[in-house]
Amino acid sequence: MTLSFLFYFLINTAFVVLVSPLFMGLTKKVKAALQGRRGPPLLQSYYLIAKLWRKENLFSANASFISRLSPVLNVTFLLAASLFVPVTFIPPSTGGMGNVILFLYLMVMARFFLALGGLDSGSSFGGMGSSREMTISAIFEPVVIIVVAALAFSLQSVDIYRMFASSLAVPVTHNAALLLICAALFVVLIIETSRIPVDNPETHLELTMIHEAMLLESSGPNLALLELSHALKNTLLMALLINILVPWGLALQFTFPAVALAMGAFLVKGWLLAVIVGFFESVMAKSRLFNIRVYFIVAFSLAFLTIVFELLI
Amino acid sequence: MVGLACGLLAALSALLLIKQDSRTIRRISLILSSLAGLSLSLFSLQVLISRRVIEVGPFDLVPQVQLAFRVDSLAALFILLISIVSGAVSLYSIGYIEESTSGPRRRLFVPLQVFFIFSMLFFVAADNLLTQLVFWELMSVLSFFLIMLNYRQAETPKSGLFYLVMTQMSTLFLLMAAVLIYGATGSFDLAPLASLSPLLNSVLFLLLLVGFGIKAGLMPFHKWLPYAHTSSPSSVSALMSGVMIKVAVYGLLRFTLDILTPQPWWGVLILALGTFSALMGVVYALKEHDIKRLLAYHSIENIGIILIAFGLYLIFQQYGLFALARMCLAASLLHSLNHALFKSLLFMTAGSVVEATSTRNIEKMGGLIKKMPWTAALFLTGAVAISALPPLNGFVSELMIFLAFFQAFTLANPFVIIFLFMCLSLFALTSALAAACFVKAFAMIFLAMPRSAAVAGAREATRSMLIGPAVPAVLCIVIGVGATRLFNWLGYPQPLPDLLFLSLILLFFGGLAALLLKLTARGGSRVVPTWACGLPAVDSRSEYTASGFSEPILTFFRPLYRTRKENKRTFWDRWSSVFKEGSLEIHTLQFFEEKLYLPVVRAVRALSDLVSRSQNVDLDTFILYSFITIVVLIIAAGWLL
Repeated sequence: MTLSFLFYFLINTAFVVLVSPLFMGLTKKVKAALQGRRGPPLLQSYYLIAKLWRKENLFSANASFISRLSPVLNVTFLLAASLFVPVTFIPPSTGGMGNVILFLYLMVMARFFLALGGLDSGSSFGGMGSSREMTISAIFEPVVIIVVAALAFSLQSVDIYRMFASSLAVPVTHNAALLLICAALFVVLIIETSRIPVDNPETHLELTMIHEAMLLESSGPNLALLELSHALKNTLLMALLINILVPWGLALQFTFPAVALAMGAFLVKGWLLAVIVGFFESVMAKSRLFNIRVYFIVAFSLAFLTIVFELLI
Repeated sequence: MVGLACGLLAALSALLLIKQDSRTIRRISLILSSLAGLSLSLFSLQVLISRRVIEVGPFDLVPQVQLAFRVDSLAALFILLISIVSGAVSLYSIGYIEESTSGPRRRLFVPLQVFFIFSMLFFVAADNLLTQLVFWELMSVLSFFLIMLNYRQAETPKSGLFYLVMTQMSTLFLLMAAVLIYGATGSFDLAPLASLSPLLNSVLFLLLLVGFGIKAGLMPFHKWLPYAHTSSPSSVSALMSGVMIKVAVYGLLRFTLDILTPQPWWGVLILALGTFSALMGVVYALKEHDIKRLLAYHSIENIGIILIAFGLYLIFQQYGLFALARMCLAASLLHSLNHALFKSLLFMTAGSVVEATSTRNIEKMGGLIKKMPWTAALFLTGAVAISALPPLNGFVSELMIFLAFFQAFTLANPFVIIFLFMCLSLFALTSALAAACFVKAFAMIFLAMPRSAAVAGAREATRSMLIGPAVPAVLCIVIGVGATRLFNWLGYPQPLPDLLFLSLILLFFGGLAALLLKLTARGGSRVVPTWACGLPAVDSRSEYTASGFSEPILTFFRPLYRTRKENKRTFWDRWSSVFKEGSLEIHTLQFFEEKLYLPVVRAVRALSDLVSRSQNVDLDTFILYSFITIVVLIIAAGWLL
């Protein structure tokens, strides 16, 4: 473990944690603007986390240690996952901490405990949210794996650090198959971060809740940690897409100006992507649970086409 | 040597039990057998590290029939697997036998179990086709008796009979293969058969695949597994599911790797069968509400995964990608070990739960985490391991398989690439469905509120029933976290991420988050009634049921289940408005039973009816049969000589 990796460990994680609520707030602002409202302030997510942190933690009488552990476990696994996606600079490979499959499965582990937490209190909403969340994750797992397989094949590596480095070296304009895979990654982003058309992150109606339903019984600091985990997952998947498609600004070495430039570049690119996601959410309606097969087919075919192109070229 | 001595003592003391029902002798015997497990596992670990080959024998039973034993690295790994799991199960059985059985069956339980473990150990160590067949048959018969221990329950005789027939069929296929090998080489030794004709090679492979596949629970020969594992006592289920099906996998591996020469299509066939087993195993597991049946179907799924890895090994071997092939073989072997550990853990904890609540139906359980916290923690470890979540051991083997699939796109043949692509997506689907199924299983059994009165009175399991599962649980964590170190230590380095480093990172972040919570979150905490959006009085009927949980997934997979609903209603009036009576029948399509097994059974019955008609005749007809036979023999002898 080199000094460079240690700095990366601290800086990357801190930056991702600080920036995540901003992107959530930005998407909400865009959606509000398209609905003709002013919407909540841009920094509302930060205010929410701070407010919840001060409040009391209420546990259901039926809840067990799962409810008490699940928020901490969620944020732990997502913070560890944030090490896998460099947004400031690309460190030297240390202990395989860039493996894309490990990255995906860390997020699956977080979801496992989130689902268990939803079922712990014995309310029907939590059960419904967990059931739908596990269903959607089960149906889309093959798609995500195939998209990542196509990505690994295109960029000739299963290590995310090397994927970003090779994407920096060969711009996407020279590699058309990457555009297809980025479209597929965008669909995966929408699905995994529970956005319309798969789930509605701002709903308060039980029939349309999936992710929100699992958080229903949490309160106080636990809810703050779960909201932060959701924001982290959103940012990490956005970062994956951004740094594959437009990696310019990402530093290759740990020098102060390069890292500062990388942070600024990521803020700008994340801003743009958050606006695009907000726009995308506003032009679509939430689809029925059993109609999400369409997105499966779309992402699957895009990944399949990428592999075919790569094989032919 | 120590292990064998311990084991022999255990066996002898177990035999004493047949005469007299004594708790002390049972305890001594089981403790000795777990000590035997421990020392045998150390012995096999030593063989693995030093890469020695130990040969014992041959012993002449009668002239021409010799027993010979040989332990090399492959055998040592499986002996390690068997001994660890059987040691843990023996510890668990100390408490389990007291609670679950009574009367004369108690006297038979321990000797049968001890001899069953021994027959499996000797099968793995066998160097001779005869030795293998002897111990295979011994293992089959002893496991039949172990299944039938609960013979008073309604479904046990059917399960036992089904199992007996299937296991005899598997022995039949192995016998055919043995006869063919003897015919080709003139000896029963297990030596590489390089000079076989390709036809004989492939026929042998198919016979062995069917024979070992039946015992391993490969689809479509899997039907006996849910019945047998559900009806048997939980420690026996743990042994059978954790160890016996791996012994069948060992047989297949041994023959394909060492004895036969692999052909290109074998890998594709094994990969196809493995993917099919994995997917259908987990799809059938999703609709199960009997905890042991659910675990049995997951065993089928994991055998599928082991064979996916082995099929990949054969395919890569054919295309010359040797490093990748070695990783796949390592993944297959590691997954065998992992599955033995977490499946035995799950069966043992499920057994504790079943004993505490007197029901196997998860729809009647709930809230057990408060009554049985340690059992819940152990079951959770098993559930996380089987869902292949980092940093536990299930993740390591699945990661290796994924890495192998990802690098498969460098193969030359485009059809194989497309096939592998499909298998990759089905494999990913399997692993995600397994996670969903275990969220359901754990949550329905342990979380929320009890759904029936029987469950409300449950108590935590006894100490031995906690120590037994704790051994595989600890090993799951250790093997998962230390996977790269372990591979390096044993001398087979693999390009894997360092999960120990990851675990340290996770501990750091977890500690940081917990510390931050404790120090800065000043709100305190309180226990309140469940909010449930302000709806009144949440009782056990408003919580989610297992059927409700899996309903969305089942709806997505509806074409596979083909549930048929027959709704018959009769009315008093001709406008169909005054209801008289009706019935609703829901049938799930039991595909393999109705289309594959029952037609075979009916054909055999028809044939035996035909033959029996020709036997139940009077004396005159028998004399006529003898006369015709003698005439035919005279003519045939005259013709041939």
